[in-house]
Amino acid sequence: MNEMSLRRLLQPFKLFRNLTKKPMTLVFPQEALPPVDNYRGRQFLDPEKCVGCGMCSRVCPNDAVTMVEYMDKKCPEINLGKCCFCALCAENCPTGALYMTSEVFIAGYDKSFAVYGPEKLSKKEGA
Amino acid sequence: MTTDIPFFTIPFGPCHPSSGHFHASVTVDGERVVNLVPDPGYLHRGFEKLMEYRTYLQNSPLVDRICILDPFAAELGYVNAAEKVLEIEAPERGKFIRTIMAEFGRILSHITWIGVTCMVVGLDSGCKIAWGDREPIIRINEKVTGGRIYPCYFLPGGVRRDLPEGFTGMVEEALSGLEKNLEQYDFLVFNNETFRVRMEDIGFLDAEDAIRLGATGPNLRAAGVEADLRKDQPYEVYDQLEFNVVTQDKGDAFARDMCRRLEIEESMNIIRDAIHKLPEGDYKNKAFKPFSKAKKKETYFCCESARGEQCYHMVGDGTDKPYRVKVRGPSFSHTLDEFPYLAKKAYIADIPAIYWSLDPCPADVDR
Repeated sequence: MNEMSLRRLLQPFKLFRNLTKKPMTLVFPQEALPPVDNYRGRQFLDPEKCVGCGMCSRVCPNDAVTMVEYMDKKCPEINLGKCCFCALCAENCPTGALYMTSEVFIAGYDKSFAVYGPEKLSKKEGA
Repeated sequence: MTTDIPFFTIPFGPCHPSSGHFHASVTVDGERVVNLVPDPGYLHRGFEKLMEYRTYLQNSPLVDRICILDPFAAELGYVNAAEKVLEIEAPERGKFIRTIMAEFGRILSHITWIGVTCMVVGLDSGCKIAWGDREPIIRINEKVTGGRIYPCYFLPGGVRRDLPEGFTGMVEEALSGLEKNLEQYDFLVFNNETFRVRMEDIGFLDAEDAIRLGATGPNLRAAGVEADLRKDQPYEVYDQLEFNVVTQDKGDAFARDMCRRLEIEESMNIIRDAIHKLPEGDYKNKAFKPFSKAKKKETYFCCESARGEQCYHMVGDGTDKPYRVKVRGPSFSHTLDEFPYLAKKAYIADIPAIYWSLDPCPADVDR
């Protein structure tokens, strides 16, 4: 083995300098990365502002949004099991009644948990 | 080495840790590969048909899923094709933002590739470090687009939102961190004797064969052909930016690896140059509405993704949905034409190394 390749063989040992650095990962349930401001988490509905135009339901690529009766008008019901979190519904809402929050802990134990009706959508911190 | 034992066929994938949901039947004679028959289809999701049922707006989040590792390039190709059919033009600032984010996508894809390549040749430290180093760039994606992996950011006629405040500082911090990381990859991976012994002098692909087999992107440039769509037929604002086309001469697996390593630096230069020249103004063309109708025309648009040429053939029929979209993914020819060609007569232990030196994406092959 010539001198050059021996030097190349010893190169990876420079990696030991990483021992002085902080770990890249976090201990997840105790600590988590803070979400950014405009993160596309689950939707939030302000039923007062909603005019029931149905734009959110029409632009949804996955048919996750259906319009249901709520407070004497049509309001969106979102099936998060179908939602791809593209935020087209929130972006195209003419009154700004529907918008995205940075809430990402939305796992449940059965499929019906993923269906967010107008009432559940208008509550922050999940159901 | 020839033995008395008849040829033996073994599967490579789809659950092999280094195949990435791709299946190939490998016929071996002892340690030598005699034949390799690729068998794609495990990730077929039918994008081309799905796109016919969605409007031009709704297709933008859909095309992200074509290749998980390089979603920006898939979106960039789609929106440019859609802009031609819809006959709208993106404003200059929108084009600059798209260029910057597409280059971030390229860096992200190449870093992921470093990680996976290290993993398949048994260099696990490189894998862990590379996947950790993606994080600062994913954070930028998150702040700009709102999504970590799937940006859903480009629209026909621009981008969905403007760059956030403090974007320049954020990018400079991430890029200077990346420069230090690249130095680390040099001594850990690219100058490491064990890595070079695995990668050098295997999977030779010369320029003539590369063109014959439909190679594009870094795989073609590693064979010495200076072909890059960003230079050859500039789209977006690449004609206003200064950068070099990275080529290598040797054409073996290590040349393809080095080509990608040097492209990360070129992409960093492009991002810095584009941020320096970023104009003020609108970031999207307000003429594009959710149900905008296309003209009766067809178009073909190609862009340079991290893996090669990502092309779209789109036919508009006067409605708000495309009549037909054909997607040409770069990995298609890399996996189905070049991989069997390079694998023949190679040692069976070199198969994962050759496969990942081509940087294929099975999701892109099947679509």
